[in-house]
Amino acid sequence: MIQLHNVYKAYQRGCLSVQVLRNVSVSIKKGEFVAIMGPSGSGKSTLLNILGCLDTADSGSYLLNNEVIQGASEDSLAAIRNHWLGFVFQSFNLIPRIDARHNVELPMVYAGVLPAVRRQRALAALKIVGLANRDKHIPAHLSGGQQQRVAIARAIVNDPEIIIADEPTGALDSQASHEIMHLFQQLQVSGKTIIMVTHEDEIATFAQRIIRVNDGEVDSDIHNDQDKNVKK
Amino acid sequence: MNTLHVNIFHDVLLQAISSLKENKLRTMLSVIGITIGICAVMVVGTVSQGMKKYIYQELETYGLETLWIYRKWKDDNPFQVVRQGSGINNDDLEFMPSCCASVKQVTPVVYSYRNRVPLHSKGNFTNANLEGVGIAYVDINNDALSLGRNFRQGDMQRRNPVAIIGSKIRDKLFGAHTNPIEKIIRWGDIRLTVIGVLNIKDRDILSQLGKSDYDVNQRVLIPYTLYQQQLGSKDIHTLQAEAVSVEVTSKALSELTALLKRRHNYHYEYVTESMDIWIATAEDLLQKISFIGLLAALISLLVGGIGIMNIMSTSVVERTREIGIRKALGAYRRDILLQFMLEAAVISVIGGVLGMLLGIIAGFGISYLSGYDLGISWSTAFLAVLVSIVVGMLSGYYPAYRAASLKPVDALRYE
Repeated sequence: MIQLHNVYKAYQRGCLSVQVLRNVSVSIKKGEFVAIMGPSGSGKSTLLNILGCLDTADSGSYLLNNEVIQGASEDSLAAIRNHWLGFVFQSFNLIPRIDARHNVELPMVYAGVLPAVRRQRALAALKIVGLANRDKHIPAHLSGGQQQRVAIARAIVNDPEIIIADEPTGALDSQASHEIMHLFQQLQVSGKTIIMVTHEDEIATFAQRIIRVNDGEVDSDIHNDQDKNVKK
Repeated sequence: MNTLHVNIFHDVLLQAISSLKENKLRTMLSVIGITIGICAVMVVGTVSQGMKKYIYQELETYGLETLWIYRKWKDDNPFQVVRQGSGINNDDLEFMPSCCASVKQVTPVVYSYRNRVPLHSKGNFTNANLEGVGIAYVDINNDALSLGRNFRQGDMQRRNPVAIIGSKIRDKLFGAHTNPIEKIIRWGDIRLTVIGVLNIKDRDILSQLGKSDYDVNQRVLIPYTLYQQQLGSKDIHTLQAEAVSVEVTSKALSELTALLKRRHNYHYEYVTESMDIWIATAEDLLQKISFIGLLAALISLLVGGIGIMNIMSTSVVERTREIGIRKALGAYRRDILLQFMLEAAVISVIGGVLGMLLGIIAGFGISYLSGYDLGISWSTAFLAVLVSIVVGMLSGYYPAYRAASLKPVDALRYE
């Protein structure tokens, strides 16, 4: 499903060019739950952004669902994000002045779904994440865990194949974190591919596969032995 | 694809309104420029349209079909021998209006070069605009008699010393509420008997603008034959006529001119006047006033546009993260562009509508203070709102373009 090959990425910081990714190759199969780990500045977020089509590599190739991502236009990347990818961020990234339902509807707005259908699907997605009766709340009136669940509802509402999660539990206490991880596991069971960046070992154990990145290179890529997965 | 567009448009409009609601004070402050600009456009529009209406009414009171013919005096060429006479005489009248298909009726107008003529009555004194006229004069000039009667054929033939007087003359010589009919006015040696009083003409902008000596309400009309006798000449200084309709005024003028030229063996050139030139002058004047007003309005609209550009730039910076989220979720460049441009247009329309309302209030205020009923120019109101949308879109474009050009990863990282 995902084939990243010999990818390089450098950032310009002032007059200094910093090589963030060096010759990174990763392939991820459909239905996998992958955690990307590494110290800060290791390039793990950049790698996730490239995988999530939010950023582009300087060189190398990226195939997503057999589609060539490298060199695609900004608008076609937007369409790919809209159809195939769902995003969950550390700081939730909900739009503050609109309620939960309308936040969940956003990806469908850009997919051109009709308002009545949008409403129905948004409510269904909120139900999946256990917030059926919170649809009219604005983000400020929800707890961190609830906000992240709204974000997950938003991520899955267009029924994407891949969930991209950047430190999804970074702003949550351990109980809320576990709830979110259980949600992710449910999503995996329902067939989603999940790619998650985290720096917490304990959170990473929810994944089946852990890719460690260090200084812009893949350090290790191992199957998770202490799999907490509760496959049924 | 079409439904997709409508869909996004509707949604984006709702988003724009909700984000403006969040910042009510700032939105209000940023629209002031547009409001003032549109208000100025409305006031200019109302005043110029109102004045136009007013001037037309004014011209109506003299009759739009009215026209004048008089001899062209060749003052500009001192070496040319000046032919005596006014080029119009009593014999010419016999052929009018029967000869000219476009002419309804004519009246001679005889006057002295001393425009203001002193008149007395029992120790009261006034200066009057004395005119020797025919029977049709009252009708042609849209005058009506508040008291007494018009001239008759016999008054003309026998040079009867009778007079129809303007209301101000009545007030000055006899007092405002007295009936002056059958009373005597002394004009030099002549004793004129008052036979009628003219209705007051209150719409008198033309005589205020033009000949300062002339006041329609200070006219004293006598039979032209009587005036000619006193002046010792058969000359008619001006021929006033009424065309059959407004459309044929110039045709009527050329018919009359041709007749006069032929009858006088082409010795004279004639000058013609009709309401056309007044209309043209008035419209020209109004156009100049409107132009200056619109220029001022344009400047305030420009300032308003800059205000909107400023507020939208601030909004784009503040909502960088939101732009990042929307892009991450699949918004195209044009979706972001549309959202911010629509937001600018909504601000601008709010300003425009406020300006329109203020302009309408100002229009009523001006009507009230000036005493002229100016009315509201709805076409200007429509134009004003249209202009405000355009100003909003134009000044919203640059900030919106910047927003649309943000890279999602950079926008998301923004704190």
